[in-house]
Amino acid sequence: MRYRVKHITEYLYSGRVSHCYNLAHMIPRTTLRQTRLNNSMKISPVAAHSTTREDYFGNIAHHFEIQRPHNKLVITATSEVETGPQHTAINLDFGTTCEQARDLLNNATQPDSLLAREFLIDSSMIKPSDELRDFAAPSFEKDRPLLSAVMDLTSRIFREFTYSPQSTTIATPLEEVLKTRKGVCQDFAHLQIACLRALGFPAKYVSGYLETLPPPGKEKLVGADASHAWISVYSPSEGWFEFDPTNDCLVSEQHIITAWGRDFYDVTPLKGVIFGGGKSPALNVSVDVARL
Amino acid sequence: MIQSSSQVSTLQPEELVYRPSGSLRDEVFDAEGKTKAHWEQLLNSFHAIGRTTFEDRINKARRILRDDGATYNIYSDPSAPSNTWELDLVPSLISSSEWATIESGLQERAELFNLLLKDIYGPRNLIRHGVIPPEALFSHKGFLRACHGIQLPGEHQLILHAVDLIRGADGNMCVLTDRTQSPSGAGYALENRTVMSRVLPSLFRNSQVHRLASFFQQMRAKLVSLSPNQEQPRVVILTPGAHNETYFEHAYFANYMGLHLVQSGDLIVRNGYVWMKTLDGLSRVDVILRRVDDLFCDPVELRSDSQLGVPNLLDVARSGRVAIANPLGSGILENPVLLKFLPGISKALLGRELRLQTVDNYWCGDPQDLDYVLNHLDTLVIKPTFRGADMGSVSGRHLTRQQQQDLRDQIQQQPMQFVAQPLLEAGQLPTYNKGQLLPRPALLRSFAVAHSGSYSIMPGGLTRVGVKETSVEISNQSGAQSKDTWIISSEPHDTGAMPADEAPVSLVREADLISFPSRVVENLFWMGRYAERAEASLRLLRTVFMMLNGEEPVSDNCRRLLLQSVTSVTATQPGFTSGNDALIQEPEKELLRVVADSNSSGSVRSNLNAMLYCADESKELLSSDTLRVINDIRDGLTELDTDLLSGVGMASAPEEALDPLVTALMALSGLAHESMTRDFGWRFMDIGRRLERALQTTTIIRCLVVPETPETDQNVLLQTLLLSLEGLISYRRRYRARMGVQSTLDLVMMDTSNPRSLLHQLEQLSHHIRELPRAPDNRHELPPEERATLQAETLVKLSLLTELSAREDGERTQLKQMLITLKKSLNTISDLISDKYFDHRETSQQLVSSIWENN
Repeated sequence: MRYRVKHITEYLYSGRVSHCYNLAHMIPRTTLRQTRLNNSMKISPVAAHSTTREDYFGNIAHHFEIQRPHNKLVITATSEVETGPQHTAINLDFGTTCEQARDLLNNATQPDSLLAREFLIDSSMIKPSDELRDFAAPSFEKDRPLLSAVMDLTSRIFREFTYSPQSTTIATPLEEVLKTRKGVCQDFAHLQIACLRALGFPAKYVSGYLETLPPPGKEKLVGADASHAWISVYSPSEGWFEFDPTNDCLVSEQHIITAWGRDFYDVTPLKGVIFGGGKSPALNVSVDVARL
Repeated sequence: MIQSSSQVSTLQPEELVYRPSGSLRDEVFDAEGKTKAHWEQLLNSFHAIGRTTFEDRINKARRILRDDGATYNIYSDPSAPSNTWELDLVPSLISSSEWATIESGLQERAELFNLLLKDIYGPRNLIRHGVIPPEALFSHKGFLRACHGIQLPGEHQLILHAVDLIRGADGNMCVLTDRTQSPSGAGYALENRTVMSRVLPSLFRNSQVHRLASFFQQMRAKLVSLSPNQEQPRVVILTPGAHNETYFEHAYFANYMGLHLVQSGDLIVRNGYVWMKTLDGLSRVDVILRRVDDLFCDPVELRSDSQLGVPNLLDVARSGRVAIANPLGSGILENPVLLKFLPGISKALLGRELRLQTVDNYWCGDPQDLDYVLNHLDTLVIKPTFRGADMGSVSGRHLTRQQQQDLRDQIQQQPMQFVAQPLLEAGQLPTYNKGQLLPRPALLRSFAVAHSGSYSIMPGGLTRVGVKETSVEISNQSGAQSKDTWIISSEPHDTGAMPADEAPVSLVREADLISFPSRVVENLFWMGRYAERAEASLRLLRTVFMMLNGEEPVSDNCRRLLLQSVTSVTATQPGFTSGNDALIQEPEKELLRVVADSNSSGSVRSNLNAMLYCADESKELLSSDTLRVINDIRDGLTELDTDLLSGVGMASAPEEALDPLVTALMALSGLAHESMTRDFGWRFMDIGRRLERALQTTTIIRCLVVPETPETDQNVLLQTLLLSLEGLISYRRRYRARMGVQSTLDLVMMDTSNPRSLLHQLEQLSHHIRELPRAPDNRHELPPEERATLQAETLVKLSLLTELSAREDGERTQLKQMLITLKKSLNTISDLISDKYFDHRETSQQLVSSIWENN
């Protein structure tokens, strides 16, 4: 599938910003199932200097510095990508079992499995706990294929948790999400990653976009899309597989990947340091995913 | 020969002999218990020197260290005496034949660590091939993913490498830890050497000690070679600031190697390069020798709450437009878990195991090691894997049962974050202690710098010895003394063709060094202002004490005016201006507050504290004589309490307690005049002084001359004015005994031959301001600060003495008006200068909250 994604981020500051330094993760990366065809980053006011590079995780990181005073910062990232489905034949009922997966990881000698173990370790936003492990454990009987167990956990999160944009912020800890059973895609992804890591399975955070289809017979509204997040889990000798707990599904062609990392913090769309700017800037984000 | 206890008792008190413990392994003796030849010679020399002379040398060494400002730790309260660096005059000796082995072992180790660093931030083959378990690297906070792929030019990524070594049980050197972040200590080693060569010159000369200077030359050359820009590369040292524990060394390096000393606020990233903010604008920085931990160097990509970093620095380093040594991310090599896997790492990267031994390391992230550690706490030292952690090293043996259990729980919660090393008994070295040479456990820090294809090792290093014979912890924080380390040549000619005296001669000082960071200039400006402010207050206080305690009684009104002038000049209102008569009658307590209360913002003490702070911040530009005077002022402040609070001072002659401070401050201004280069730094310091002196004089005149008083009172007030402005003698010479308002005003305001007159200050100010750098401009309009100075100068010049002295409604109205206008002008000048020349940093903030990263 071919898409054009337009992601507009606008900061309105209450005070003048004299200069700023920013780091954006807004350009979709190329992966096994996705090719970036082209992209452009438009920044207003114009950046005095910018660099684009691949970061540690292979994501596209865009640095820029603005040296002229401004009250408003607008970043328009436009990209065209070609996406495909995940590994051709995923059969959830066959493959490495949970127990085998753990053994293969612990005694790993293959580079892929050794490197995947990085995603077992606590990261800044994800600290597995006994509660999270206990919540996840029933899905992971030792003889069950790992991917089937992950799908089951994905469905349970979908069923037992309520999607509720007002209930959490970026700072809501996982324990609270688990307790209130409410959150947004980012919370569900973090929760599922924590569950998987607690049980000994490497998991990544994936940020991106999801194509939303208009109700039958209606025009699609521009800007109605949003950025999205899901997870990727590692099964030794099988590879990485993406699951979307917010939509109870295996990730498909409609999932467009921007970046991945240990958690949201590694792939924050825009961060940086500003000089001046006053208190609490207003942030407006609009995303439009158009099928080409 | 080991001295037996029976021999000891027969010794003369004057004799200086070594008394080894006999039971602990001692560096002085070989396997058969015989004194090694080079030690024999040294101990004989000390015996010949004798105790009294030795004590003299110790005192001399202390004086030099103090005068050089050699400190380890300046407390957050700038008036607190800083810890002078502790040097034991008995050097640690290593024969050159043994050193050759150690040196090649250290070179090999530095080369290995360089390869290890390249692999960690490059292909990570050691992980891929299973040499290092992934968790050992990926769970460590020092592994900075943002630094992946950054490369310095040349074959070395690790520029500086320091190693802590002790003598193991077999007598061979054994590595305890590596320092790869921003290793400290080399500067202290150089200072130790300098002092030793000065206090024990003949011993030093005769001992054929390998010299240190070439190591620093190589270090400088290496730093310069890293520059992406080969024309006049600018190398700076980035320090966290004057309150860092090793700030002395930062300033010392800056001076010795001719580099700029900068703090994060002095640097800025613009258009993809790093720049230093100077008076002349921005100048490009090519190489940064960092003394700030990597995690704190860039708030955009690393710790976002850091105030010690430069936003976007990492991205500039990534694009190769600035070189940072050691590179950001190099702190990962301090992860002790890597030491557990060192044999494998060495085989994989060098094809052989290291020659130099490393202490055993148990990593609690490994189930077997964890089990061993939990069951052998008594024989182990437990360390967190990340040095920045709240916990330091803990010796299991020194914990209570309960503490041991708590530690076990802590380890089990996060096993990957802990390592353990066996508790080693360090070899002993003779150390001077209260008239005796006693054995103390020793630790050697060695230093390596990348140099033409390999590493160059400092011949010697920094030796530290424990406080007690059985000390386990040997660190500066625990009060350890340091020693010079002498590599003794067997051949007389291989010490390197260096001058006999190793006093530091600054390596090349580049022409462009005249432009220093504007922060330093600002600090000099304020140093001038605070010094002058403190001096003016002290002079007035001293005079007021004398007047109040003089044999001639002063009237109540006069007393009030005198005390109120103290409040006004020190700006400690309300004080004596509160209208409280009891305070005027019993002024001692308030006067004491004005002198010594550090919480009162106008007090002499708080002004001097502020001045000392500014001096610390611009330390690298101050001469050693100036540093000595600064030390005197610090001491004077400490003694002030003893003198004033003992009651002796306050009751009898309080002015005497203030004398030493006045003298020291005068010495400071004298030095500024006589020994400071007339560069912009000096000019700004003098602008600060002139402005402050003019302001203070304006205030004193207003307090003492504006009110109309009976003649007897007026005489006292005018005398006070003249005394505090040091004008009484010239006045008397000119006008004999009679005190007149007009002639007094003439002397203190208009007379430009009087270096304390108002007009003299204003003329000097005008002169300085005309000399300051300014943007080229074709117009002839005067810049605002020059206009303001001209205005002030004209105001005084056009005044008429008869008008100024004219009385109206109980005061001299015209004088008062004129002084008010003048004061306003002076404040305007100060504001204009600071707006134009000093850096006004805006506060920065994070675009998104970052509460997560420190978890």
